[in-house]
Amino acid sequence: MVAVDMRNVRKVFGSSVALEDFSIDIVSGELVCLLGPSGCGKTTALRILAGFEKADAGTISVDDKDITSVAVEKRNFSMVFQDYSLFPNMTARQNIEFALKSRKIDASQRTAIIDRMLSVTALEDQADKFPHQMSGGQKQRVALARAIATSPRVLLLDEPLSALDAKVRESLREEIRRLQREIGVTTVFVTHDQHEALAIADRVGVMSNGRLEQIATPRQLYEAPVNPFVATFIGSINKVPAIGISDGKWECWGSALTGSKSSTPGESVMVGVRPEDIRVTPEPGGSARLTDMSFLGPITRATIKVEREESVVVDLMSAECGSLRPGQEVHLSLRPDLDRVVVF
Amino acid sequence: MKRALKWTFLGTLAAFFIVPLLAMARFAFQSVPVVLLTPETALQGWSIDPIIAAAREPQMWSASRTSILLAVFTIALTLLLLIPLAVVTEIRAPRLRPLLTALTLLPWVVPPIALVVGVAVTFRTGAPWFLASVFSLVPFYALWAMPFTYRALDAGLQAINARTLYEAARSMGAPLPVIVARIILPNMTASIVAAAALTTALVLGEFAFASLLLKETLPTFMVNFQQSQARAGLALALVVLLLTAVAISLVVRVLRRRGLTVQTTGL
Amino acid sequence: MRLQPDTRTGLLVALPFVAFIGLFLLYPTIAIIYSAFTPGDDFTLAGLGRALSGSYRQGFINSTALAATTALIGGVLGLTLAAVMRTLDRPRWLHSTLDSWSAVASQLGGVPLAFAFIAAIGTQGILTKLFNQIGININDFGVSPTGFWGLVVVYLYFQIPLMFLVSLPALNGLRRTWREAAALMGASGVRYWIRVGIPILTPAALGGMLLLFVNSFAAYATAYVLNPGGALVPLQIRFLLQGNVISGEEDLGYAIVTWVITLLLASLFLLTYLQRRTLRWTNA
Repeated sequence: MVAVDMRNVRKVFGSSVALEDFSIDIVSGELVCLLGPSGCGKTTALRILAGFEKADAGTISVDDKDITSVAVEKRNFSMVFQDYSLFPNMTARQNIEFALKSRKIDASQRTAIIDRMLSVTALEDQADKFPHQMSGGQKQRVALARAIATSPRVLLLDEPLSALDAKVRESLREEIRRLQREIGVTTVFVTHDQHEALAIADRVGVMSNGRLEQIATPRQLYEAPVNPFVATFIGSINKVPAIGISDGKWECWGSALTGSKSSTPGESVMVGVRPEDIRVTPEPGGSARLTDMSFLGPITRATIKVEREESVVVDLMSAECGSLRPGQEVHLSLRPDLDRVVVF
Repeated sequence: MKRALKWTFLGTLAAFFIVPLLAMARFAFQSVPVVLLTPETALQGWSIDPIIAAAREPQMWSASRTSILLAVFTIALTLLLLIPLAVVTEIRAPRLRPLLTALTLLPWVVPPIALVVGVAVTFRTGAPWFLASVFSLVPFYALWAMPFTYRALDAGLQAINARTLYEAARSMGAPLPVIVARIILPNMTASIVAAAALTTALVLGEFAFASLLLKETLPTFMVNFQQSQARAGLALALVVLLLTAVAISLVVRVLRRRGLTVQTTGL
Repeated sequence: MRLQPDTRTGLLVALPFVAFIGLFLLYPTIAIIYSAFTPGDDFTLAGLGRALSGSYRQGFINSTALAATTALIGGVLGLTLAAVMRTLDRPRWLHSTLDSWSAVASQLGGVPLAFAFIAAIGTQGILTKLFNQIGININDFGVSPTGFWGLVVVYLYFQIPLMFLVSLPALNGLRRTWREAAALMGASGVRYWIRVGIPILTPAALGGMLLLFVNSFAAYATAYVLNPGGALVPLQIRFLLQGNVISGEEDLGYAIVTWVITLLLASLFLLTYLQRRTLRWTNA
């Protein structure tokens, strides 16, 4: 069941286009991440959804009802901000209570809800502390508790982890995910950190220059990026030469692949291949030379110079590199099951 | 509706500020006395003679020059005393900041007259020549401006994250004087200018210290002058006020154009 | 004693400043306070008692009333002005005009201002005349350069810009995200201001008003020009400590000064405390 549907949303600030024909639908109970570099429009999209900005064109519907012109206060969403946005003159408990009071939740129920929120986020001992007495991680947990206390229709998170240290970021990330699954609230999470996005989202929407490039599960984004931007943004990728065969098929290092663009026979392009999809075998007189090997534990990362082209980076299982040495001439091929590639 | 309310409020306040100035201009530049003022005579008797009369007074020019010199020296003394202090506090001893902020508010706690008397007593025995010079006003002015100037400089340092800049430069091996001269100071231009502008306005309008020490500065001259030539005196006051306002706003505008926002002081 | 180079630099820098403050501020002040307690070489509190009696008591009452009134009214108006300005982006010249005007009006005010108000609401003032035309004698309301409300009006001229100047940073400390979070929760604008905005602003606002109080209490130029013989503390001090007076009354002057210093010092402590409160909340 589609909970949130944004159609053809356009937003312009002055002379720059922040969002260009942006459309997305989010299923109820899903956690969708909007991922992209700064300036890609992800925060604008979130803010338009929240109602802080008005779209110049397009519609926003929730549960099949058009809410494009509904006031912020009436949408029944909640948001967690990058700067926590806790009211500094109130304790944690009072912050949560403010949210409940604003939604006109009965006094008799408020205490129970607050206590449950505090225990669910493990903040019982912070209940009567003020924001300036708490750490960043604690503040963000209070912000989270405050956001879900009112059982919002949609939970919005605007880069909530960016201001925290790495360790706190990871644990809080898991906590957000756990809570979200438990409560089942439809969630939109904006971030520029792909590890975050891939780790917790059901689907990730990769954005660039105001456009939604691709929205898919983390796995699909990684294995089947639809265009060069997504391919290079998610994970790492090598650009490798290929020749067109016919009708969407390309030949690369002996394998026939389906490319993301149609091909004319003999057309010369570069395609994207992930480091773990390349196979290396020693071959005296081969056209490639192994220049460097870095042992990373289970994986060994090899750098190989292909004649006339740039180097490629290959990730190999350490157990299978016994016969390889730096300086060797090698032969490169692709993983046999590799089928689709992105054409640059 | 809200917009209308805001503009009404602004308009009323603007009227409050502009009307007295208009009254001043009318009194100064129109020779028709108030009792004889009627709608018919409203447009009669306007001339710029009063300001010319003021300009004819040689004392006006010497007093103005004195005031301007005092402003320059006060700014110099203030910057000399406070910049090193503010810089060292920000870079090395940020914990001292609250103490210093409070300390620099102290000058306002002591009424000017008391300060003058106290200092006079101190110097009368040791260095009587000090109070005789008109430049004895400079330390008083520097003191009086201190609450604002320290704040402006301190705010400027905080805004540019001077601490981080210093540490970065230090790790590159630059010695302290070089860091201050080539990194910190250039980035403090906006707040230095803000401090200087406020100081100038203060010195040009300061009356208490000057009159108590019996010095002739522009404000004391204006008060005396006004008693003998009311209209010319008012004309002069108006011109001084407007010129200073225009000068300061020009400076602010030039800075803004160069991307430096002048931080107004705060609490 | 071996000092770290940093401490050495620190001391080197602090020394001129401390010497300056010591010579021009601390020592003279202490000397005066000492004299207040020892008129005629005896330690006594009598001088301080006299300083609060008779016309001097009236002087304190007048000055305090004037300072409090202008602090309150100027505080509210200045804060409102800053709040209104924060929401207005256009016209663009408004902000810079107001900024420079505030700087000038709050500092330069004194003398030209006094003149301006004489021209406006003095006995020969044009506003006086205009009001007379419609049958109101503003003098009856105390709105004259020598009346209480007349002084209030004049003082507000530099109090409002001062409050405006110090309010701006405080208002900038009110994060937009607080307002947004509250809106999303369903809180109306009024509710937000009552429960979040105003409580957070209050320490800064009170601090600003205290600053106005101190500023008004010590204001000299305007009072001198409008009514040199008036019953205001700064003028009374001047009368006792300067000019051709019988000596021996100086100690009385010192006593009054001591009271003033005490009052203003207390205000300063309160101000510093409020500042700290403000900082704590806006940095949270």
